Amino acid sequence: MADRSALTVRDLVIAPGASAVTQTIASGEIVGLAGLDGHGQELFLKMLAGLAPPLSGSIESAVPGSSHKITGFRGAVASGIAYLPRDRRANGIFPTQSVLDNFAVSTLSRDTRFGLISPAARKARYDAYREKLSIVAPRPDAPITTLSGGNQQKVLLARALALEPAILLLNDPTRGVDVATRHVLYDVFRGLAADGMGLVILSSEIEEILLLCRRVLVFRENEVAAEISGEAMNTDSVITAMFGRAA
Amino acid sequence: MNPRLLVRARGMNPRLLSLSRSVGFAVVLLVILLAVNLILSPARFTPGSWGALVGLAAPLIGAAIASTPVILAGRGGIDISVGPLMGFVNAVVIQVLFLKAGISSPLLLVPAALLIGALVGAANGFLATVVRIQPIVATLGTYLILTGVTLTILPAPIGPAPAWLKALAGPWSILPLAVMFLVWWLVRRLPYYDQLMAVGSDDRAAYTAGVDVTRVRFIAYVIAGIFGGCAGLMLTALIGSADPNIGPTYTLIAIAAVALGGVSLAGGRGGVAGAAIGAIDIFLLQSVLTTFNVSTFVLQIAYGAILVLAVMLTALQERLAMRAR
Amino acid sequence: MAGRNLFATTNARVIGAFCVATLLHLAGAVLIPGYSSPFAVRAMLVLASLLAVASIGQTLVVIMGGIDLSIPFVIGFANVVAAQLYGDGWNFVLVCGLVGVLALVIGGLNGLISRSLDIQPLIVTLGIGMVVQGLVLLWTAGFPSGSAPQAVSSFVSIGGSAGPLPVPWLVPSLVVLSALVVLVLERTPYGRRLYALGSNPGAAPLALIDPVRMWIVTYAASAFFAAVAGVLLLGFTGSAYGDVGQPYLFQTIAAVVVGGAALVGGRGSYLGTIAGVLVLTEINTLLIGLGFQPSAVQAALGLIIVLLVSLYGRERHVSTTI
Repeated sequence: MADRSALTVRDLVIAPGASAVTQTIASGEIVGLAGLDGHGQELFLKMLAGLAPPLSGSIESAVPGSSHKITGFRGAVASGIAYLPRDRRANGIFPTQSVLDNFAVSTLSRDTRFGLISPAARKARYDAYREKLSIVAPRPDAPITTLSGGNQQKVLLARALALEPAILLLNDPTRGVDVATRHVLYDVFRGLAADGMGLVILSSEIEEILLLCRRVLVFRENEVAAEISGEAMNTDSVITAMFGRAA
Repeated sequence: MNPRLLVRARGMNPRLLSLSRSVGFAVVLLVILLAVNLILSPARFTPGSWGALVGLAAPLIGAAIASTPVILAGRGGIDISVGPLMGFVNAVVIQVLFLKAGISSPLLLVPAALLIGALVGAANGFLATVVRIQPIVATLGTYLILTGVTLTILPAPIGPAPAWLKALAGPWSILPLAVMFLVWWLVRRLPYYDQLMAVGSDDRAAYTAGVDVTRVRFIAYVIAGIFGGCAGLMLTALIGSADPNIGPTYTLIAIAAVALGGVSLAGGRGGVAGAAIGAIDIFLLQSVLTTFNVSTFVLQIAYGAILVLAVMLTALQERLAMRAR
Repeated sequence: MAGRNLFATTNARVIGAFCVATLLHLAGAVLIPGYSSPFAVRAMLVLASLLAVASIGQTLVVIMGGIDLSIPFVIGFANVVAAQLYGDGWNFVLVCGLVGVLALVIGGLNGLISRSLDIQPLIVTLGIGMVVQGLVLLWTAGFPSGSAPQAVSSFVSIGGSAGPLPVPWLVPSLVVLSALVVLVLERTPYGRRLYALGSNPGAAPLALIDPVRMWIVTYAASAFFAAVAGVLLLGFTGSAYGDVGQPYLFQTIAAVVVGGAALVGGRGSYLGTIAGVLVLTEINTLLIGLGFQPSAVQAALGLIIVLLVSLYGRERHVSTTI
């Protein structure tokens, strides 16, 4: 349970007129992002991933030791940040490609021998994650669309984890995923945090955040309306903060 | 998302807004080119020569209008057989019907041309929507078939055309174009138009909302064919004879005109007016370049370069408009 | 299950195209005396190889979700420029180097403009192609001169032989080249990224694929192979001709599609394109052999492309894509 800070957000402004956000995400913790749709939590997550430019303020990753300012997605990935997108069909899977291709696409150079991809190396890497995430895919060379939604999501998670990130940003990771798979994913997230990874989870379901996180940032009108942690964190307090009524 | 899309397509204001936004550049270009033309060769643009001028531009405008409905229908919809269809109509009307069968009445020739267009359009539509061959491949097949058949029935150019038809490239040149616009104006009044635009912007959503996607696309091909037949008549009027080699050259230029006029080749955005303006732009551009009396080679270079620059500027302008919002 | 069918379909399309090519050849052998004679087969192999070279680029571009209409113009450009410069006394290796570099620039420009501004490649490649052709015409005043060195002519000559093989060096070279193209597509990061980008352009940047870079590289490759085809055609026909590439505009697209690629991207293979090339070459030879006029051959070609693609190249209904 390290308390090393992995990601530091300083005076980040999400939208014009909104007050700045200053936060630190530590290694080994799971931070939840909540809020009514379109109140800035998704934009915040995308800014952490370098996918959207902040109006002002800065995001720095501090792994391992030296700090990098996050200005773009590639830079973010290079400094140890992985991002799992929300819309699996639009921004996640490559529907005509195999499970293996979908898994390895972000980390292709790791399997190359003299410029050529070694199928054995790729399969070995995939098998490690298949076991870890208990992916059910009878034929890894079949198109990813042959898998259930939950297993597709696991393959996308494996793709992100293959980058071996220090910080994992999850944009509504259990959307359209069956209940059994959800619990597998929850266990995986907890395990990753226990191994020292910092996780930021945006979820549209409060129960999920209460189950996984010890700390939640509730967004309202593009700013952090409340930061709730520990005992104070329950359905009522989060909902109250989401709707902006005094607690 | 699905019903909202349909509602949005049905709303009048966004439609006008998107028209002005996407066509904007083509209109600016039109004004500039028109001014340049007027300065360079005022004689060509006196009211007395308007008829001939419109007749000269009409086949390209017609081809561009004919290319539009299928492109609007989306999912790679494109009809590259428009040019060969024009050539085929040209050959059949002059060689088969007028010269061989001796039919010269417009009351027979015009319906015949439109019927040929409708049949070819229906064949394209059948292949692309019922058999579900990728549209560019299906219409490539039609392209090759029509070109081959045209050359078989008409190995070499032949003339003349009936006098009334030639008049359609002179004093009456505005008539066929006006009819085409009128038809499209009527189509836009029908619920079919909303369905077409909905299918073009998101066919899955339209299908979920209960639109018969196949039927909508099929009809788009038939409309394209009828317009193509009409453009074939305009081509016949202009050249006053039958020529097997001219028709196919219109295909790519017509699609370029459509793109220039702000019609998204991805479907669901733009309209016939934009396509026509794009075609007029290209015509005026040719006209400017011709007055400079440069070699045809320079003409071609300028032509290609301006085509690329124009679509680049359109894209940049759209991007700026997006940012401004 | 639907997805699994799709996978099977992609392979089935390639196998189907090879079967059709074989059937066409058998039909030719039965119908036309001398159709399977060594000379006729050699001629077909050479014609098919030339089309196969010109179709490499179209295959790559179509897998990526684009289309390249500049191929015939670049073929004509390379054909004329190579002949002209060689005729002016340049060293032919230098000529090829220059033509290759210029082709890479033309193609790179195609990709850069199309992708970075998100413009339909159909329009961009057409416009750039027209500019290129115009420049060549201007330079040669419309009358290109010059010819190919003997080495290129014998490399593609139908009567030539490659060591013990009774075919010109073009054919075995194409076999090697094809193997390389297949290897690049199947086993290199570039190839996998190409399929991924064509499969879902929206997801590509999040998978660390740089679309602009991919488009520049791929269109540059397409133009490069078009230029190679142009120089080979110079050897084949003997003299320069600016419009020599025109038949290749639709033939490359037809070969790629008959070979099972989807023009929406993410699907297709070079092996499939080779099958498509063989089908087209067989149809052409068969119809000419049966005594059809070129115009009738063209019409029949259109009919057969439509028939073949409707047999095994059908798209899925919109209801199955939801």
